[in-house]
Amino acid sequence: MKRGLEGPPPEERPTPAGRRNKQGIRIDPEVEATHEPRRTVISALVEHEPGVLSDVSGLFSRRQFNIESLTVGPTEDEDRARITIVVEEPDPGIDQVEKQLRKLVPVIAVRELEPDAMRRELALVKVAAADPAAVSAVADMYDATAVDSSPETATFEITGSRQKIEAAVETFSQFGIREISRTGTTALARGTDRTAAPEATAQPADEANHDETYQTADDD
Amino acid sequence: MSERAAKIPPAEEEQDDPITDSAAPDAAAETADSETTTDPVTTGAEAVVRALENAGVEYAFGVQGGAIMPVYDALYDSDIRHVTMAHEQGAAHAADAYGIVSGEPGVCLATSGPGATNLVTGIADADMDSDPMLALTGQVPTEFVGNDAFQETDTTGVTTPVTKDNTFASDSDHVGSDVSEAFALAREGRPGPTLVDLPKDVTNGETDREPDAPTVPDTYDVQERAESDLVAAAAERIENASRPVMLLGGGVIKGDATDACREFAIEHEIPVVTTMPGIGAFPEDHELSLEMAGMHGTGYANMAITHCDTLIGIGTRFDDRLTGGIETFAPDAEVIHVDIDPAEISKNIYADYPLVGDAETVVEQLAAAVDESPEATKWRAQCQQWQSDYSMAYDAPEDEPVRPEFVVEALDEATSDRAIVTTGVGQHQMWACQYWTYTEPRTWVSSHGLGTMGYGLPSAIGARLAADDEQEVVCIDGDGSFLMTLQGLSVAVREELDITVAVLNNEYIGMVRQWQDAFFDGRHSASDYGWMPEFDKLAEAFGAEGFRIDDYDDVADTIDAAIAYDGPSVIDVHIDPDANVYPMVPSGGDNGQFALTEEQL
Repeated sequence: MKRGLEGPPPEERPTPAGRRNKQGIRIDPEVEATHEPRRTVISALVEHEPGVLSDVSGLFSRRQFNIESLTVGPTEDEDRARITIVVEEPDPGIDQVEKQLRKLVPVIAVRELEPDAMRRELALVKVAAADPAAVSAVADMYDATAVDSSPETATFEITGSRQKIEAAVETFSQFGIREISRTGTTALARGTDRTAAPEATAQPADEANHDETYQTADDD
Repeated sequence: MSERAAKIPPAEEEQDDPITDSAAPDAAAETADSETTTDPVTTGAEAVVRALENAGVEYAFGVQGGAIMPVYDALYDSDIRHVTMAHEQGAAHAADAYGIVSGEPGVCLATSGPGATNLVTGIADADMDSDPMLALTGQVPTEFVGNDAFQETDTTGVTTPVTKDNTFASDSDHVGSDVSEAFALAREGRPGPTLVDLPKDVTNGETDREPDAPTVPDTYDVQERAESDLVAAAAERIENASRPVMLLGGGVIKGDATDACREFAIEHEIPVVTTMPGIGAFPEDHELSLEMAGMHGTGYANMAITHCDTLIGIGTRFDDRLTGGIETFAPDAEVIHVDIDPAEISKNIYADYPLVGDAETVVEQLAAAVDESPEATKWRAQCQQWQSDYSMAYDAPEDEPVRPEFVVEALDEATSDRAIVTTGVGQHQMWACQYWTYTEPRTWVSSHGLGTMGYGLPSAIGARLAADDEQEVVCIDGDGSFLMTLQGLSVAVREELDITVAVLNNEYIGMVRQWQDAFFDGRHSASDYGWMPEFDKLAEAFGAEGFRIDDYDDVADTIDAAIAYDGPSVIDVHIDPDANVYPMVPSGGDNGQFALTEEQL
């Protein structure tokens, strides 16, 4: 017995010429948009209440957003905290990160910082101190501050851009690094530009769809 | 974002909602009414119940248990009608369906631990389908939280990924307002489930604080109107379209935009396709209707979507069961996407014209901005041609087992236009989509995004209480789905609910069997039950009315008798076990290349 429905089979049907890419964007052969991942800083102002950090971190893992670091701390307003997230995603992914963050009820404002935003990270680097003079010379090169020393180890605090810290770590590595602890990036917008202020949520929700040219963020 | 919708109408207005049930006035509760509304609250639990009353809640679905007892004690004096369910999953589905049919959040209650975890499936279901729902869960006393106490589960932790928002109530003075806020959040903007976890010391604790009115927090903003320049650009695109299609999603129904969409489509003669949750947004007997698109959508809807040059998607999130492979979804179309949730814009399908806002408001904006109808006579003729090319007509030889499609059509025939259909998940659900002709919003109640087998019977219970008396409630179920939640029959019988369950029984997990035949060499691993209980007799044991259909000759009369029975009835319909659902687009496939037979997959 015949199963199914009548009608022209697939191979006899007309097929459209166009296609979309994996991100659901129609592919224009002339200006085929490829979206490469780029690293950028998202800052979120949130209600300072229990569970917000787990809501945010859960969102990132659940939606498979690639994050490099996430830091949280209090702000000038004791009821509010700032979360700074370094993400590496293509443009559509960055837009989704911002939009999904805005949907969380305790989130007050979200924005992607300009490439020239001030970005800093702190690292504690514990090195073997067999040659104290050489270690100290490297520390001076990176404005590192000695925090602790013992006959066998010296621990330095380094503050700066991610690149600076990575360079310092690499240079210190000649002495033998025992342990490292890094905070991840925290950031603020420059000058009178507000980092993530309550009114920042008022930007058009569909901004993502206007053609804007993003610069890849450079560290300081 | 010029305008926002933080304002909530006062609670009293909710009680005037025309879509509420009058089937079961509770005389005893009504006499207690005057006292409960005037007495000040004395405990956290009373504040919880007062918050529900202030919000206009009439029904709640739940199961008792240790940690939620204080709330139930407060409910004892309330005129909110509580329906004791047989299982918490059923309570969540009933509340979900109540929300779908009434448009107001359905309320479910459960105790801590297993009570709360049993709700999770229903909460996740409501989350996927953006259904308004409020879940209240008991919790162990605050001082025991984190100690792995008896019946302790981290309920807010477990439900965070599947709720719109949730709250752990931390003090008796504020718990009533926590509930008010959760109720408001469940229905405002894009609806969804919210949850308040209620530690027993908080509900038992003394307070005289009346709950605040149900309003959303300051941090929650909703954009109601789309940017006018984008509306103008979209309108121009529509005017210049030569192959336009409207794609109506569940958001059209939730946003009460059905009338606005119908007017717009008819005014400009634009063919209309719906998603599965959008069923009922446009009358399927209208000449512009191409019915449902997607994996098991009609051939003509999928052809229209594939070949259109302008797609006006309203209140849809472009789910993968709708789009099939992204690469081949409406590949020639400029997309106008109307949605109240900015995060849905360009999430799956890039929106050339992103219109963020309330569906009704934005469609009215578009209606005002579109001056000329698109010239699409040829396109409409093409769509009609596809309707005849890819007819949904099926063979039903008299001497063979009953076709499920025939049963669905017979049920539709035997009921009114406003009858409500609920379903489980699987083949029967698809036949219910394809062969019932829906004409009204809020008459299709199903588990779309989560695909929860067992949704049908408990949702019929919730739908029954939300529906008008003259609306029939028919649960089209599968044997596998029915077996998962049929304990709900005890509730339907006890509460004297007039519902009809038609079990399309093929003694298979039919959709899995169909896929195994197509993709796994016909190896029926764990899909062939081979045996099912006699559902008509089982129904009788519960105190419901049982019927059975084996032949075409039984169909019409048996259905009439079951529908006519004033109370819960179950028809065990022994259908053709080899029946398959077509058309079919395999996962990730090209919508335009839908298969009409297994050989074409």
